[in-house]
Amino acid sequence: MSTAFDITLLLLLIATALAVARLKDLLAAAVVFSTYSLVMCLLWLHRGAPDVAMTEAAVGAGVTTVLFLIAIGRTTRREK
Amino acid sequence: MKKALVTSLLIIAAIPMLIAVAALPRHGALDTPVQTGISAHYLEFGVEEAGAENIVTDVILNYRGFDTEFEVTVIFTSLAAVLALLLGASTAGATLSRPGSGVRPSVVVRFVVRLLAPFTAMFAIYVILNGHVSPGGGFQGGAVLGALFITLTVVLGGARVAGAFPEASRRWLQIAAPLTFAVAGVAGVLLTGFYLGYPTEVGLHWLRTFMIIAIEIGIGVGGAAIIATLFIVMEAE
Repeated sequence: MSTAFDITLLLLLIATALAVARLKDLLAAAVVFSTYSLVMCLLWLHRGAPDVAMTEAAVGAGVTTVLFLIAIGRTTRREK
Repeated sequence: MKKALVTSLLIIAAIPMLIAVAALPRHGALDTPVQTGISAHYLEFGVEEAGAENIVTDVILNYRGFDTEFEVTVIFTSLAAVLALLLGASTAGATLSRPGSGVRPSVVVRFVVRLLAPFTAMFAIYVILNGHVSPGGGFQGGAVLGALFITLTVVLGGARVAGAFPEASRRWLQIAAPLTFAVAGVAGVLLTGFYLGYPTEVGLHWLRTFMIIAIEIGIGVGGAAIIATLFIVMEAE
């Protein structure tokens, strides 16, 4: 059960990481990247590191996404 | 041709890396340096020697205190670099206006954020102050506090949130983490003769706990202020 959960999360992690690299729409990439952070957060939690999970959720999924969105808003949305 | 070359180079580079990963010891294996080295000492004597029930805090603030001190200095320096880049370009400086697209968040978002804000703040403060007992501490609580600041700024508008933090005090909040570390370090010199030394005498355990909590608060406040400032400066026109 526990291993299956881990493997599912890791597969999801790889899928989101590939999606971030492939997406040309930077807004979509930023949103998918925050999903990546959320999956990572669950993995940290499951691996027994609640403090790292907390930081990942707040900084990875929250703050960096906001900063990415601001940066996209000030530049262009499409990757050249 | 070029693509085939790049692909084959990547595959050649990947093979030793994958072999190295396969050779890594199993997660939690008993014969790894993690288990046989210094960690065992930390786990057995950490609470007694370093003074915090949470071993992670013992390592971060006591055994590896210098690492953490310069880590927060690096974070502060990165903020200084961002400020130099972004504020140098604009003449107005960081005014806490909220220009953006002019779209106000929906009533649902506004209600939920306002409803949860006090609880989020309380959780962040709990995490900071309880860092020596339970998982968490200054970095974690500071991140939550900074994220709360961002959501509040988006929902309530920058002016109302900024009113709580006058310009003069903001500088002190941003440098809070390296500053408290430096003060605690010098206090350590006076108390024990070592920079960032914590008193270990039985009668002075309260002082050691006080120092740990003070540093946690410094890291939390400083971290939150740095996250908030990054957001303000990047968003300001």
